[in-house]
Amino acid sequence: MFATPAAPARLWLRRHGWTAGVWLLLVVLVAWYATLIPKFGSFQVTSIAKNSLPIVFLSIGQAVVVIGGGIDLGVGGMLIMTNAAAAQLMDGQSLGVVLLIAVGVLAATALLNGLVGWIINVSKVPDIVVTLATGFIYSGFALMILPSPGGGTAGGFRYLFTGSDSGIGTNFWPAVVMVTLPTALVAQWLIRTRTGLSIYATGSDRNASFLSGVRTFRAKVVAYAVGGAFAALAGLATTALTGSGDPRFSIGANAMLNSVAAIVLGGIALTGGIGSVVGAVAAAIILFTLNPILTAIGFDPNTSQVIKGGLIVAVMMVAGLLELRRRRRE
Amino acid sequence: MPDAAPGPGNPVTGPPPLLSARGVAKRYGSVVALRSADLVVQPGEIHALLGANGAGKSTLVKILAGVIAGDAGEIAVNGAPVRPRAPSDAMAAGLATVFQDPALIPDLDVGQNLRLTRVDEAAVREWLGRIGLGDLDFDAKVRELPLPVLRLLDLARALAHDPQLLMLDEITAALPADQAEHVFAVMREWKARGRSVLFITHRLAEVMRICDMATVLRDGGNVATVAPSAGDQQDLVAAMLGDVVDEAAAETATHAVPPGAPVVLETRDLRSTDRVNGVSLRLQAGEILGIAALEGQGQDRLFDLLAGDRRPDGGEILVNGQTLHARSPYDAIRQGVVLVPADRLMALLPQRSVRENLAAPLYNTVGRWFGLARDEKERVQRAIDRLSIDTRAQRQARRLSGGNQQKVVVGRWLAAGFRTLLCFDPTRGIDIQTKAQIYDLLRELADEGAAVLLYTSELQEIPLVCDRVLVLYGGAVVDEMAPLAATEEALLTAAHGLARPVGRGG
Repeated sequence: MFATPAAPARLWLRRHGWTAGVWLLLVVLVAWYATLIPKFGSFQVTSIAKNSLPIVFLSIGQAVVVIGGGIDLGVGGMLIMTNAAAAQLMDGQSLGVVLLIAVGVLAATALLNGLVGWIINVSKVPDIVVTLATGFIYSGFALMILPSPGGGTAGGFRYLFTGSDSGIGTNFWPAVVMVTLPTALVAQWLIRTRTGLSIYATGSDRNASFLSGVRTFRAKVVAYAVGGAFAALAGLATTALTGSGDPRFSIGANAMLNSVAAIVLGGIALTGGIGSVVGAVAAAIILFTLNPILTAIGFDPNTSQVIKGGLIVAVMMVAGLLELRRRRRE
Repeated sequence: MPDAAPGPGNPVTGPPPLLSARGVAKRYGSVVALRSADLVVQPGEIHALLGANGAGKSTLVKILAGVIAGDAGEIAVNGAPVRPRAPSDAMAAGLATVFQDPALIPDLDVGQNLRLTRVDEAAVREWLGRIGLGDLDFDAKVRELPLPVLRLLDLARALAHDPQLLMLDEITAALPADQAEHVFAVMREWKARGRSVLFITHRLAEVMRICDMATVLRDGGNVATVAPSAGDQQDLVAAMLGDVVDEAAAETATHAVPPGAPVVLETRDLRSTDRVNGVSLRLQAGEILGIAALEGQGQDRLFDLLAGDRRPDGGEILVNGQTLHARSPYDAIRQGVVLVPADRLMALLPQRSVRENLAAPLYNTVGRWFGLARDEKERVQRAIDRLSIDTRAQRQARRLSGGNQQKVVVGRWLAAGFRTLLCFDPTRGIDIQTKAQIYDLLRELADEGAAVLLYTSELQEIPLVCDRVLVLYGGAVVDEMAPLAATEEALLTAAHGLARPVGRGG
């Protein structure tokens, strides 16, 4: 199919170069971190994997919405709301009941955020405005459900996300599976199924999608529903990690900004239709991993935000220069 | 498979027509886009839908295709009433459309685009083979493919849906002549299968050649339904334009460029990657120099280089005898070399007003804090008057018709001042009346001493407007002709690289 034998490799690099680059950056950062601390072992792997879970899930959800041509500023509110609700409801329950609650929370949030997508479609109000509002609403609900930090969950539920009933341990498998399995499933779903492709199509060119018979309305609703479910999963992961609920607004706002940073760093265009969930997940883990690294090299934690911001700008600039060079050559 | 015998498309009294639309109307607020249109297409018929810009052709097609909902009227396919609410409904009813802008998703590859619309990939592949695109890479991103390929891919996809009626909106507008022939062949084959084609075009020669029937719209209503034959091309034009005098049949005049007119633009062995391979040309003040080429012969890159949008890899560009080192179009514009690009929306600020669009190049020279000086406002007004731009929809340039948008793009340079005008396919998809106005304007500008370099994909128009024609093939100039010698045939032969090279270029 290709004109020259060298083409496939170059083509692959052009299509997936960004994703590969972000994963490479993650590997380099983790390797560097390993040299900075006295002992790097399964405890550290577990720590990175499990503590990244909320931001990873949030980024997957944000990625699906942004690829579909939207943006969801309500994911942070959704995270603290589900965290609060889960901690409140799960406190003192058996594992079976806790799992039922988890499934119920996921289904309810998918429905709720699907409704948000529907409202955006029907009202034609920009995504950013509607989801900014829902973010406030969700955050308010979080405080109504759980006015102050508290609540709890079952040990088995904590094991599911962290690898131990107490939330502290060296068994990294559950957390690693929790990162890789949803990532792989969503990535495949997006590029293999007609629904997934229609999300890419709607984000890429809504008019052309409509003209070629794609149900753009449905694609957007589905994207928001999936985004909402993953924000809820992030809330559940937070419940499992901390063993409690915390409805503070700043946690949600911070998480939301990180999810946008992760997808941008992960190579997803804010204009929609371009990028992959796989890259966004690597970027999300990078954003988390920076914290222990900066601590390890002795940076004041207060300056770490500056470093994060600087990194995003630097990476985006390198990307811009590479793109410019590619265009010049063509 | 409801394959009827390949009948000659004679109006049968018994069975209902393939498509019948009666009294279709559409209004946007107070603006009437379609008053009341009737359209009847018989099985096994190639039916032309004609009309000047704004006559309502596109609105009618969009209603038939389910893109917009009509306010009134009845549509029936094979006698059964249909009311398509989305393009997928129209497709289910047997109506497939190839729109003016390809309905393909830029960020997906070809295969993904096909999977998205649940079409038989093997059938698409087969049709692509018949229209000369058998080697299209299904892994290629749509964004990376040129527009003509996208048009044909869209056509192959529509054919693979196996529709009763194929609706083609201006499909030949951006197609080079050789690919247009492939499309005509497919249309004839579709007819031979007893299916029908609705063909929307501005090119009457094409209508004369292949259409069995023609419906002419004007001001949102029917004015004529005729069987085109070689004799009545003028009748069709008259029907389309109403009382407007036919300006399109301009005389084929040889405007002598005054001897000794200064050379304002010159290129010497200009090169850019493998697209432009040593182009040397000289453009004098007062001259309209035509560029004729099939698609993809480097003409777009040549214009980019001249407009300062890209730096050449070799050779040089001289403006008024001085080497041009343009780092961006800004530098070229300062030297008086300005571009009217093919894509009007690329040059316009679509959300802004007509006046702001016209004044855009003046902003650099504005030395005051508050807006434009009075004489600059006057320059803008003069440009509007001179081009007779219809400014009723002036609040946002994107609301103008295609022809008026193009006038704004040209008018911007009138207001700003220029010496060399580069026009890249300026009349693509524009009705013949506006087209004539644009060509008249180019001639006027040349008479006033401007130099014009004109590329057009419509070869038959070259002898009408140009003083001299260069034929580009494989990124090099292969022939030069006087307008009288530049018949469509001669140009096509040369454009295929068949004529004897005149020794220019690499």
